[in-house]
Amino acid sequence: MEKKLLRFTVNEVPYEIYINPKTLLVEAIRDHVGLTGTKRGCETVSCGACTVMVDGMAIKGCSVLAMQVEGKKVTTVEGLEKNGKLDPIQTAFLDEGAFQCGFCTSGMLMSAKAFLNETPKPKDEMEIRRAMEGNLCRCTGYNAIIRAIDAVAKGKYGQDKREGKR
Amino acid sequence: MSENKYSVLNTRVHNVDGHAKVTGRATYTFDVTLPGMLYGKILRSPHPHAKILKIDYSEALKFPGVIAVVTGKEDTLGVRQGIWRRYKDLCDEAILTVDKVRYIGEPVAAVAAVTEEIAEQALDLINVEYEVLPFVDDPMEAIKKEAPLIHEGFERNVNVTRQISWGDVEEAFEEADYIREDWFKLGGQHHMCMETRAAVASYTPDGKLTVYTSTQSAYYHQALLAGVLGLREGNIRVIAPYVGGGFGGKFELDGAQFCASILSMKCCKPVKVIFSREEDFIASKRRTPMYYYVRTGVKKDGTFCAREAKVFTNGGAYTGMGATALYLTGFFHSFPYRWKAYRYDGYRVYTNSLPSTSMRGFGAPQAMFCSEQQIEWIANDLGLDPIEMRRKNGHYEGYEVPGQATIASCGLDQCLTKIQEWVKSKGKLPKNRAIGISAAGFMSGGIFNWFDSPYSFSSAVITINYDGTVELHVGAQEIGQGSSTTLAMICAEALGVKLEDVKVHMGDTDHSPADLGAWGSRQTLMAGNATKMAAEDAKRQLLEFANAKLGFNIIYDLDIKQGWVYNVARPERGMSYYDLCKEALRGKEGQRIIGRGFYTPRRKGMISPAYSYMVQGLDVEIDPETGYIKIHESVTAHDCGQPINTLGLIGQLEGAASMAIGFGYYEYLPVEDGKIMNPNLVDYKLIRAPEMPSCQVIEIDTYEPEGPYGAKEAGEGLTNPHAAALGNAIFYATGLQMKEAPIRAEAIAKAWKEKQQQKKNEKKK
Amino acid sequence: MSVICPVCKKVKKNPVDCARHMFGTGDKPHRAWFEAQGLSFIDLLLDQATQPGNKSYELVGGYVEKAQKDIK
Repeated sequence: MEKKLLRFTVNEVPYEIYINPKTLLVEAIRDHVGLTGTKRGCETVSCGACTVMVDGMAIKGCSVLAMQVEGKKVTTVEGLEKNGKLDPIQTAFLDEGAFQCGFCTSGMLMSAKAFLNETPKPKDEMEIRRAMEGNLCRCTGYNAIIRAIDAVAKGKYGQDKREGKR
Repeated sequence: MSENKYSVLNTRVHNVDGHAKVTGRATYTFDVTLPGMLYGKILRSPHPHAKILKIDYSEALKFPGVIAVVTGKEDTLGVRQGIWRRYKDLCDEAILTVDKVRYIGEPVAAVAAVTEEIAEQALDLINVEYEVLPFVDDPMEAIKKEAPLIHEGFERNVNVTRQISWGDVEEAFEEADYIREDWFKLGGQHHMCMETRAAVASYTPDGKLTVYTSTQSAYYHQALLAGVLGLREGNIRVIAPYVGGGFGGKFELDGAQFCASILSMKCCKPVKVIFSREEDFIASKRRTPMYYYVRTGVKKDGTFCAREAKVFTNGGAYTGMGATALYLTGFFHSFPYRWKAYRYDGYRVYTNSLPSTSMRGFGAPQAMFCSEQQIEWIANDLGLDPIEMRRKNGHYEGYEVPGQATIASCGLDQCLTKIQEWVKSKGKLPKNRAIGISAAGFMSGGIFNWFDSPYSFSSAVITINYDGTVELHVGAQEIGQGSSTTLAMICAEALGVKLEDVKVHMGDTDHSPADLGAWGSRQTLMAGNATKMAAEDAKRQLLEFANAKLGFNIIYDLDIKQGWVYNVARPERGMSYYDLCKEALRGKEGQRIIGRGFYTPRRKGMISPAYSYMVQGLDVEIDPETGYIKIHESVTAHDCGQPINTLGLIGQLEGAASMAIGFGYYEYLPVEDGKIMNPNLVDYKLIRAPEMPSCQVIEIDTYEPEGPYGAKEAGEGLTNPHAAALGNAIFYATGLQMKEAPIRAEAIAKAWKEKQQQKKNEKKK
Repeated sequence: MSVICPVCKKVKKNPVDCARHMFGTGDKPHRAWFEAQGLSFIDLLLDQATQPGNKSYELVGGYVEKAQKDIK
């Protein structure tokens, strides 16, 4: 199959890559752009480890072809921090211990970030849980992750409170 | 809640790996690429039992992009290995099999190619001629006289037998006023680590092999690979980058590590083998399915007299860690109660299905499902309070399980009280909703050395730099359970520094001391003890310089806390630890202070140096017509001695609950004709965020003399009680006695329907 | 009705109880007795552990009963 040109933005950086049209978005991100923070845990669009944001919407990177994001803005976990300062959701995860082995964490952060962008004030805990239903975690039992998201939603980290050593 | 007397222990701290994990910087074997790396794929047996007659891979070799093809016969030493190295007859698995396949999915050949896609296409070009043999995939069939023999020399396919007993069971049954017997069936469960089995192996012309792998023990894999590859252990370097979960499935040698190594040795190029999720389901090992027959005798006042259990386990095609599961299930089936007499006979049976191995809980979830439900039914049959009955017979500090263990710390009684209070506070629940409880406990590392390691079970080396930063080298493996953070906290507490002063190094056999690794809940106690010993050794050396510098009267002693070296009687008098490090370095001719520590349990009984205790309560609503459940609340009273890593502890307990509820309800793993029917995440159900109940944990304060600062295990023991607690809730809500785990919705609905029909029939009479 | 174990001569309450005892000890002499009757110890034990009801015990109890007349 002839390779095709894909132009898209990843974490506010424009990329131009030549790829086989069959390439999944998660494969383009990991193998062609070289950002390995996004993981893959299944072949059946079930686990959410590959969750990224496309134009702000949480998308499983294994469920779309890379070509489908031509001209779009993709955000991966690497794009959450800005100039060495962590996003509030990342700090919340640290404060709550909302990860253990860490393999699902990138996907969790992206789903959480997209959810909070859409729903800054969730009406109850179950709304947060339902938003995270697409992301599997084998280690934490989810509750610490929910606590972290809830803390950000409740304004514990302020609007732009970013933490970092810089 | 008692005041925290420690400055680092039992405080909420950021996980030492936290920044890497929340910023996408953590690299796993899944992410590792090396220059010139090839991709390996494994050709797997489609048959549960067959002889390999011929393998023709000539077409595969011709396929453009294919660099190497390997088979067991041509490219391996054909060594049958196993993790029970001390018992040669249990070392039965060649991994890349030479003459016979014994389960669907067993590796038969492997290909290395320039891309993953080419490697996969090349598999289709390998022609394997099999002589299909009759197979058996259930112990009941495998044990029959006419059954096909799976391994030579194992009559009736019985692979391991174990008996644990004390007292005179027959006599004790005579004393019982009430005897009850039940039959149970326990299903398997899959580890389902988020990161599948993975390895990148690189063999170089100087005869050295480096293997990056997702492992629970870099040392075990170094030693196992040496055994099967004919290489010197010291010429093999195993590196565990971040590990995406283990849960008991990643310390045996697996197909990814072995095939990647063999391929790399053939072509002298790095080879990466990553299992697909489907492969991970069908070709990595699973929790041991079991049949349990339990007979229990008690006095009419509820005193436990006698118990006998006969257990047959479905061992699958190879031994692996399944032998240990057979032993531990038998021990924990008696736990945590005092039996006048007890007898367990366990038989592990080979079958032509996925090998069974260790999985979080290690035979105890199965044991508790049977024991804790039967105990509840007995209490009910006799009209006794089930919590008081447990309390009357429970372990206590100082109790000796005859011939097996001495209990040096035990919070069971307090745990029962806390849960009793919670149950009372709940009052009367609405229809179809009830509380089920279960007691449980677990070991803090095993005393066994069936691996035949010559090394201390755990070791630690600490070096202190000029600026006071501390390099902690351990072999204890971080797999998500938080061991690096926990050990850093123990180091900081024992040495007297701040947590941020400590750097943890592990997961590389070139730089880490040998350690048996992360399994059997051993690291907090064993690696913790080694770390504490090393830190105290380093501190003692530092304090020599401090004493010289400060020159206090001989009656005063010094200690270090949070970077301050001080006179214990007059804490405001002292000096900065950071200044002391500079002076100590100069004093030692520019040599850093090095502290050593190690730990091996000795004369600690047959199982473990220490035991955790817990009582689990679940508030569950059941719709008996559909069998659907909703867990409203989970409350655990928990004794792990001294909590060390507060956030890590909470996470481990909540995680254990999710896996335990999976064992009890969600994670059905049916096998038909040796084939796993649901090897994917659509059909194999894991609990998800909306279904997970809130989990309240009440820590009971005890002190375990054998553990560092009194600590013992946390996070595996709690995988043991939920299935039984769920069963007990279902019993109180519906009257149904569910004897098969996982308790499937269909089974509840069916049993309920049958019960209603029975009621109708009785009314008619 | 009280019986005597044909192998170790212990007195047991009834034939089924004696069968329990024989399965329980599982030692070589008791297993050898099973073989001598043309019974398979392991087959019967597996049945006992996996099938509700005590058919194995009852079956063996029957053999124990028959053996009483030969016990001195």
